[in-house]
Amino acid sequence: MSVLIVAEHLRGQVRPITLELVSAAKELGEKTAVAVIAKDPASIADQVDVEGVNEIVSVKVEQEEFENDVYLQAVEQLISDRSPDVILVGFTVNGMGYAPALAAKLGIGFASDVFALRRDGDDLVAERSFYGSKVNAEIDFPGHDRVLLMIRPTSWQPAEGDGATVEAELEADISGSRARHADFQEVASGGDVDITAADFLLSVGRGVGEKENLGQFEGLADKMGATLSVSRPLVDQGWMPNSRQVGQSGKTVKPKVYLALGISGAVQHLAGMKTSGTIIAVNTDPEAAIFNVAHYGAVADLFEIAEELEKLY
Amino acid sequence: MTATRDTFAGLETWQIVLWYSLIVLSVAIFVYGVLRLFLKYRRGRGHEKLGNRRERAIRVGKVVFTHAWIRRRDPMAGLGHLLVFYGFMVLFAGTAILAFQDDFANPVLSFDFWHGWFYKLYSLFLDVFGVALVVGLAYFAVKRGIVRPFRLRYWRPAEPAEPLRDQPRRYELGDWVFLGSLFFLALTGFLLESFRIAADNPSFEVWAPVGWAIGQGFRAIGFEDGAAADARAVDWWVHGVFALFWVSSIPFTKAVHMLAGPAGVAVKDDRAGNRLAPLPAGAKAADVGYAFIDSLLPKHLLDLDACTKCGKCHAACPATATGYPLSPRDLVLDLREVAEGSMGNRAALGIAPEFPEHAQILGTIKSETLWSCMQCMACVEICPVGIEHVPIINEMRRALVEKGDMDGQLQQTLETIYTSGNSFGEAKRKRGRWAKDLDFEVKDIRKSPAEVLWFVGDYASFDPRNQKVTQSLARILRRAGVDFGILYDGERTAGNDVRRVGEEGLYADLAEENVATISGCSFDRILTSDPHSFNTLKNEYPQFGGEWDVMHHSQLLLELIESGRLKLNKGLGYRITYHDPCTLGRYNGVYDPPRQVLEALGAELVEMPRNRDNALCCGAGGGRIWMKELKGEDSPRPSELRIDEAVELGGIDYFVVACPKDVTMYEDAIKTSGHQGELELRELSELVWESITVA
Amino acid sequence: MLGDEVEFTDDERDVDPDYLDFALNEWDTYATEEALRLVEAAGSGEVVVVSVGDEDAEDAMRRCLAMGADRGIRVEAEGRLDPIQVARALAEVVQSESADLVFAGVQSSDSVQAATGGALAGLLDMPSVAVVTKIELGDGKATVNRELEGGLVDVVEVDTPAVLTIQTGINEPRYATLRAIKQAEEKEIEVRPVGDLDEPASRVRKMFVPPKGEGAEMLNGGAAEVAQRIQEIVQEKLA
Repeated sequence: MSVLIVAEHLRGQVRPITLELVSAAKELGEKTAVAVIAKDPASIADQVDVEGVNEIVSVKVEQEEFENDVYLQAVEQLISDRSPDVILVGFTVNGMGYAPALAAKLGIGFASDVFALRRDGDDLVAERSFYGSKVNAEIDFPGHDRVLLMIRPTSWQPAEGDGATVEAELEADISGSRARHADFQEVASGGDVDITAADFLLSVGRGVGEKENLGQFEGLADKMGATLSVSRPLVDQGWMPNSRQVGQSGKTVKPKVYLALGISGAVQHLAGMKTSGTIIAVNTDPEAAIFNVAHYGAVADLFEIAEELEKLY
Repeated sequence: MTATRDTFAGLETWQIVLWYSLIVLSVAIFVYGVLRLFLKYRRGRGHEKLGNRRERAIRVGKVVFTHAWIRRRDPMAGLGHLLVFYGFMVLFAGTAILAFQDDFANPVLSFDFWHGWFYKLYSLFLDVFGVALVVGLAYFAVKRGIVRPFRLRYWRPAEPAEPLRDQPRRYELGDWVFLGSLFFLALTGFLLESFRIAADNPSFEVWAPVGWAIGQGFRAIGFEDGAAADARAVDWWVHGVFALFWVSSIPFTKAVHMLAGPAGVAVKDDRAGNRLAPLPAGAKAADVGYAFIDSLLPKHLLDLDACTKCGKCHAACPATATGYPLSPRDLVLDLREVAEGSMGNRAALGIAPEFPEHAQILGTIKSETLWSCMQCMACVEICPVGIEHVPIINEMRRALVEKGDMDGQLQQTLETIYTSGNSFGEAKRKRGRWAKDLDFEVKDIRKSPAEVLWFVGDYASFDPRNQKVTQSLARILRRAGVDFGILYDGERTAGNDVRRVGEEGLYADLAEENVATISGCSFDRILTSDPHSFNTLKNEYPQFGGEWDVMHHSQLLLELIESGRLKLNKGLGYRITYHDPCTLGRYNGVYDPPRQVLEALGAELVEMPRNRDNALCCGAGGGRIWMKELKGEDSPRPSELRIDEAVELGGIDYFVVACPKDVTMYEDAIKTSGHQGELELRELSELVWESITVA
Repeated sequence: MLGDEVEFTDDERDVDPDYLDFALNEWDTYATEEALRLVEAAGSGEVVVVSVGDEDAEDAMRRCLAMGADRGIRVEAEGRLDPIQVARALAEVVQSESADLVFAGVQSSDSVQAATGGALAGLLDMPSVAVVTKIELGDGKATVNRELEGGLVDVVEVDTPAVLTIQTGINEPRYATLRAIKQAEEKEIEVRPVGDLDEPASRVRKMFVPPKGEGAEMLNGGAAEVAQRIQEIVQEKLA
C-alpha cells in the first residue's frame, strides 16, 4: 500500500496544502511519496522534506508554473510508473484543473473535498459533506484498487520536521500543453487594510442585506477596535474590495478573535478562518454551518446584536 | 325703452358674415384639435371596459359641479376654482343663450325672449359671475405668483431627460398665459359693456352693476357718446375674435383640462392601484408592460392630458418629500410630452420637442424614478382629475422587469421567492415555527376544518420582531375562542409586493398556488394580519379564482371586542398615536376599526398630523423594502420623517401600527431618527394582548 | 466559428425531498450568462443547456432557457450519481454537439464536488481550465483568467474547443421573469437515454448530521445579554 502526493507550488514556494496532505497520508500509515513537478524540482523538494515523507520524486518539466496538461500527463505517468494505491491532491484551483480529469480517464476511485480518511480493513473510507455542509457522509470505493482523493485545505495541520527521504526522479514525456500560463495579475488592493494582520476581525456576510448597512458595521468595528472583513458574496456584489474577503478565494486569517455576523459558513469561507483563536458566530439560522466551527454562537438577528454592541462600546 | 340690446349694433352685413365665418373657423379648429386628441388616445394599446356607466356619469356630475375632489386638502383653492369655473360657465352659457336667441329662436321660431325682465336678470347674472371669475383668477394669480406653495413650484427632484429640460420654464409661461388670457377675456368683456353704457347710457343697464359703474365713470371723465361708441366697436372685435381664438385653442393648451379633466374623472377605475390588471394569456416579451408610449391604455393617455399641474400628488408623495428621484406629477408631465411629441397635436404640427412614432418611454423616464415609487397611492388618492399614476408606474415596472433592469438585491429577492416561496429564503417548513413557542397547538387548516383561515404572511411568520406580534394575536384569538388554523408550510408569499414590483408572472404563479392550497381547505373566512396580503387576497385573488371573505385583524379584533367575545381587563391609559398603513387605509378604506379598537382599550388617541387618506407611507411598499436606498443623500427616510411627526405631537407613549412591514420600518426609524427612548412602537395586537392580560 | 456551447446543471437527492428546495445551481447561472454574452457579442451561435437527471432537472434547465439558451438536452438518469458518472453521461452528448466551448459551474452549492467539468474534459481529452473569471475569445484559442486562492489571477491561454469551469462573480446573470420561464416550456428539451456509466467512483456508506462543533457554546438570552457576553469574551480573548 502506498500513497502518492502531488506537491503544489506557486512562484517557487510550496503551498501549505502539500504539507497538510502529508499529515493526511499519515492517517493511512503507508509508504508516502511526494511528487514535485517543476522546472526546478530541487528547490521545491527541499521544502517538502518533512517528517512522514519517505520519498521525493522529482519530475523536471519545461513549464515554470502550473499548467493543466503538464500535471495531467506527469501524474498519469507517475501513477503508471509507481502504482500507488492512494493519490492525494489538494482540493484547490490547481487540483480542480486536472485531478477529476485524470480520475475519469483512468477510471479509478475518486472523491473531492475530503476532510477525514481512514482504513477500514482493506477499504479506504473518506468523509466529505453534502448539502451545503449540513450533512456529512462516509464514502468508500468498492471495486477500486486505486483511489484519487482531493483533500480540503486546512483539514490537517501541515507536517513539519525532517524526513529521512529517498530521492528519485521520473523522466516524464510531456507532449504539449493546451492551457498555457501567460502571466500573473495581482489583485489591486488600493492600499487597503491587511486583514491577515488583525488581531480582531468583525466579519459580515449576506445577512447584512443592503450595501448601505455596511456603514453601520464599519462603525461598529471601529468602536470595538476590530477590522472589518467580509465573505465572498459581498465582494461579488462589488460592495467591498477583495482585499477584505475572508475565504478560499480571499485571505486566510487567524486572528485572536473572529466575530462573524450574518455569515452562514460556506465551506470556502470556513477554510479561510476556522483556525482563528476564538470564533463567535451570530446567525438567525440555528443550523448554519458556521456554528460547527464556532466556539461561541448565538441564534439572533445581527442587527439587534450590533445595536446592543454599539451601546456597550 | 325695452331692456335689450342689439348684438350686432353698428356692424355692416359683410362684417356679420365675417363674424360667422370666424365662428365656423374657430369651431372647426376646435373640433380638429379634439379629434386629434381622440386619435392619439386610440393609438394606445388595448382597451378598458368601462362598466357602471350610470355611476360614472353621476360621479362626473358630482365632482364637476360640487368640485368635491378639487376642494380636498385646500378648500380655499377649491373656492377659487369654483368662482372661476362658475364664472366661466355662466358667461359661456350667456353666450350660448344669446346665440340661441339670435341664430335660432328669433329667425326660425320668431320667438324673442331676450328683453325685459329676462334681459335685466341675464345682465345681472353675467355681471356677478363675471366678477366671480375675476376674483377667482386674482386668487390664483396671488397663489402662483406670491404665495408660491411647494406644490405649485416646478422644482424637480430629478433632472428630466434631455429633450424635456426646458419644460419647467415652458410650463410656468403657459400657466401665466392661460391665467392672463382668461383675465383678458373678462376685462375686454366688462369694458365692452362699459363702453356701450358710456355711449348709450340706457337706464335699465343699472341691472348690470359693474358695467354700469364703470360706464358712469367713463361718462364722468367725458369719455362718452361717439368716443365710447368707437371704443366699443373696436373692443367688440377684440373681445370677439380673442374669444373665438381662445375657444379654438382649447385642445392645444392648458385649457384642455376643461375637457380632459372630467373625462379623467369619468374613466377612473375605482379599484385603480388596489386591483392591478393581469397579463393577457400568452403575452410575449414585447407585450409586457409600458415600454413604449403607445403601449399605454387609451385612458392612461387621456390621464396624461387631464393633469392641470396642481401639484397635489407632488406634495403628497413620500418619495418626493425625501429626495428620491421621483415626482408623480413630473412623471405624468414627462409622459405627456412624449405622447404629444410622438402622436399628438405637437407631432402633427411639427413643434419641438418631437419624439419618434413608437417612442420608448423607458430611458426618457429613468429606471431609478420608477423604482423609487412606494406604490402608496397618495398620488392617486388626491388627484382631482382621476389620474392613475400607480397603475402607470406599475406597468412601466413590468417592462423594466421583463428587460431585467432592476437592482441586484431585488433580483435576488425575486429569485429567492421563486425558489423558497418566501422573501426570506427560509425553508418552507419553518413557516410555522413561531407557533411552536405557544402553549397550545395551532390547527393545520389543511387537515382540519376551522372557522377562520389565518393567512399569516412572510414578515409575520419569519421576522423575529414580528413573530412576537403574531404570537400575541394567536393568544388573543385563542382567548376569544376563535376557531382558527394556519396553512403552515403550504403558505406562499401572497404576492402583493411581487405584483407591485412588476414581476407579474411570478405573482400569478404564487396566486395560483395559494388559491389552490386555500381552496382545498374548509373554512368560513380568511383572516390576515398583514395589510399587503389583505389587499391582494381580497381584491386580486378573485382574478385567479379565489373569492373569499377576507378580513384584516383589526376588523376581527373589533368584532370580537364589540361582541363581547374578547373581554378587556384594563383601560390602558397610554397616550398613543396611530399610523394608517397604506394598503389598509388608502387602498382599502379601513380607517376606523383600528381606531375603534384603540379607543375600546381606553387609550388616548392623538391623531398624526397627516392621517387617514393623507398618511405618509413608511417607505417599504412597492417592493422598496427589497431594494437599495434611492433617497436623497441628505434627506431623512420617510419613516424617520414620520417618527419626527409623532414625536412633535408631544408626550406620546406608543406609536401604534397595524402592519408587519411598519413594525420593521418604524422600529428601525425610531433608532435611526435619534428618538430612541422618546417613544416606543407597539403593534395593535400587542396592545390588545396587554389589555387582556394585565389585571 | 464561435457558437455552440454546452453547459450543464447537476441534480442530486439523498435527503428526504420534503426537506429540499430545488433551484438552478448558482454557478450555473453565471455560466449560462457568460455563454449568452459570448454568443450575443459574436452575433451568431447557439447556447445549449445539458443536464443529467430526472424530470425535476428540467425546471432548472427552463431557467437557463428563459435566460436565453436556445435548447436543452437532458440525459435521463435517476438516483445519486457521482460526478464522474455524470461526466460519462454527458460525454456522449457533448461530443455529438461539437461545441466550441463547454462551460460548467466550478461546483454545485450542495455537493461541492467541483469535479464534473474536469472529468468531462478528461473523458473527451479536451483542454480545460478551472475557476475562470474572465474570457476573451481569439482564433482557435481563448485567453482566460483563472482565479487562484487569495485572489491572485493566473492568465492562461487555452486552445479551443475547451472545457471551462466558471466561477461566480464573472458577470451579473440576467433575470428571467417567470413569464419567460413559463414560455421557455415551448423551447425544446430533448431527452436522451443514459449510456454506460461504469462503476461509480465512490459510494456513500452513510449520511449523517455532523456533530455540532465541539463545544460551540450557545449564548442565550435577549440581544442585550448576548451582546454583553460577546463583549466579555472579546475582552478576555484579546487580553
